[in-house]
Amino acid sequence: MFNIIVTGNLLNQQTAEQVIPALAKLFKLSTEKAAGVLEKAPMAVKKKVPMEVAEKYQAALQSIGLETAIEAVVNTESPVTETESASSEPSEPEAESASTPSSKQPFSEPKDINQSTPEHFQGLEFKLDGQPDYGFATVQIPAGETLKVEASAMATMDTNILMKTKAKGGIGRMFTGESLFINEFTAENGQGEIGIAPGAPGDIKHVYLDNQTIYLQNSAFVASTMGVATETKWQGLTKGFFSGESLFLIRCSGQGDLWFNTYGAIIEIDVEQNYVVDTGNIVAFTDGLDYNITKVGGYKSLFFSGEGFVCRFSGKGKVWIQTRSVPAFTSWAHWYRPSKN
Amino acid sequence: MKVDIQGGQAFSYLDVTLDPGETIITESDAMSSMDATLDLTASFNGGLIKGLLRKYLGGETLFISRFSNNGQKPADLKLVQPTPGEIKCVEVDQQGIYLQPGAFLACTNKVKLGLAWAGFTSWIAKEGLFKLHVTGDGKLWYGAYGALIEKEIDGEYIVDTSHLVAYQPGIKLKLQLAGGIFSSMFGGEGLVTRVVGKGKITIQSRSLDGLSSWLNPKF
Repeated sequence: MFNIIVTGNLLNQQTAEQVIPALAKLFKLSTEKAAGVLEKAPMAVKKKVPMEVAEKYQAALQSIGLETAIEAVVNTESPVTETESASSEPSEPEAESASTPSSKQPFSEPKDINQSTPEHFQGLEFKLDGQPDYGFATVQIPAGETLKVEASAMATMDTNILMKTKAKGGIGRMFTGESLFINEFTAENGQGEIGIAPGAPGDIKHVYLDNQTIYLQNSAFVASTMGVATETKWQGLTKGFFSGESLFLIRCSGQGDLWFNTYGAIIEIDVEQNYVVDTGNIVAFTDGLDYNITKVGGYKSLFFSGEGFVCRFSGKGKVWIQTRSVPAFTSWAHWYRPSKN
Repeated sequence: MKVDIQGGQAFSYLDVTLDPGETIITESDAMSSMDATLDLTASFNGGLIKGLLRKYLGGETLFISRFSNNGQKPADLKLVQPTPGEIKCVEVDQQGIYLQPGAFLACTNKVKLGLAWAGFTSWIAKEGLFKLHVTGDGKLWYGAYGALIEKEIDGEYIVDTSHLVAYQPGIKLKLQLAGGIFSSMFGGEGLVTRVVGKGKITIQSRSLDGLSSWLNPKF
């Protein structure tokens, strides 16, 4: 993904008076707004677009005499602890531009370039591709360090990376729908890179745990650094709800990077007091949250509304939900499968 | 000719506009909709024998389709691939590019589709005995299941089997175990491909093996 940045420099001896109306016409903006773009430059005018799109925008902008740069989007994931203030800020100009009548609005996200530069980030250097449909993580493992990766999730790696299979994690892993084995990838004599592709179609999310705890739905674990301890946790019969089938959760705690995957895209929700999520859509939640399983309405709704049981979170923390659920998919796809007899 | 790749990474398709006199070659069954003025001719994929070889050994269809605009006005054509996933475009030169079986979607008129021996290595790696060698002068569109990620190789790199989609002729493939005997048997990685040389490779960020082992236990 790439950002297109208007640097503010003019090409071909153009003057601002010539460029501003051209820019306004190109993006169907008011002249004041176009002038504002130049004033605030350098500024990202279009964010997170594929290279082909970025090149198109660049060509269009250059033809009217504006110098542009294309910047690869570096991951700006923030650790779990961080408040959402950083990401809520840029939404303000978005709202402002949404009031303009044009439906095709390339400037819908005018954000300051400084907000798109990566903040200092703890943990390993990594890149996410293919989001949100088929997320793919490329992680740089420093020399001598080791990454735990879910069995069969490795897609590419450098030749100096050594793989070892461990049966760590205990028998409980059998119950969480994960392989009994986990692979450890160590970068021998020098840094190495590894590309990680989970099996499910969907996104990958990264969090940095700083002595915190996150609970993952079974089979959501993708990879972590060695500082993160993963263990299987029995939820008790009343809480055994994940995907409507498992009585276990994966408890990740400690310090280090953690990657988990979803089926579908991922939505991060800050829970302040109470929040209700369908049991099949929960991917992960932070430690501070308490939860219990309830039905949405009365017994009639329970059986006929198709909603069944939901998970009611309370307290303060974060919940990650996936935009598709596995039981919904299997019950849709089931009728198209060949019958066994 | 104007071709846009649309539909996002999950369901990419090609939006083609053919000017009068232009022709595009596609995988058979790739057309999903088109202007009624376009003419379609199906032909063997490089002759009967070669076509049969390509079908049974290269994982491609026996026939290819040629869509020509013999009318007076530009005409539209939409091309789709069978798998959910991304489509990419590449400029083909005389050196060409190797495609894994099933990845070919469409190409311009001066592009040639040939078959090359991929070797037993590739066959053991479940990639097929033959690979498609696309050469000539023009554009090629190919796709696979998952997102497509390009990577420049200079030296050696390891790719899990069934993730490699396309690679340049400067690259050779070797097969090896992912780890030791124990790791390779129980670690779920099994065999991996060691790509050696200098050039660009394209990998798919999902594999059918990954999908089936994720999905099957859920039914």
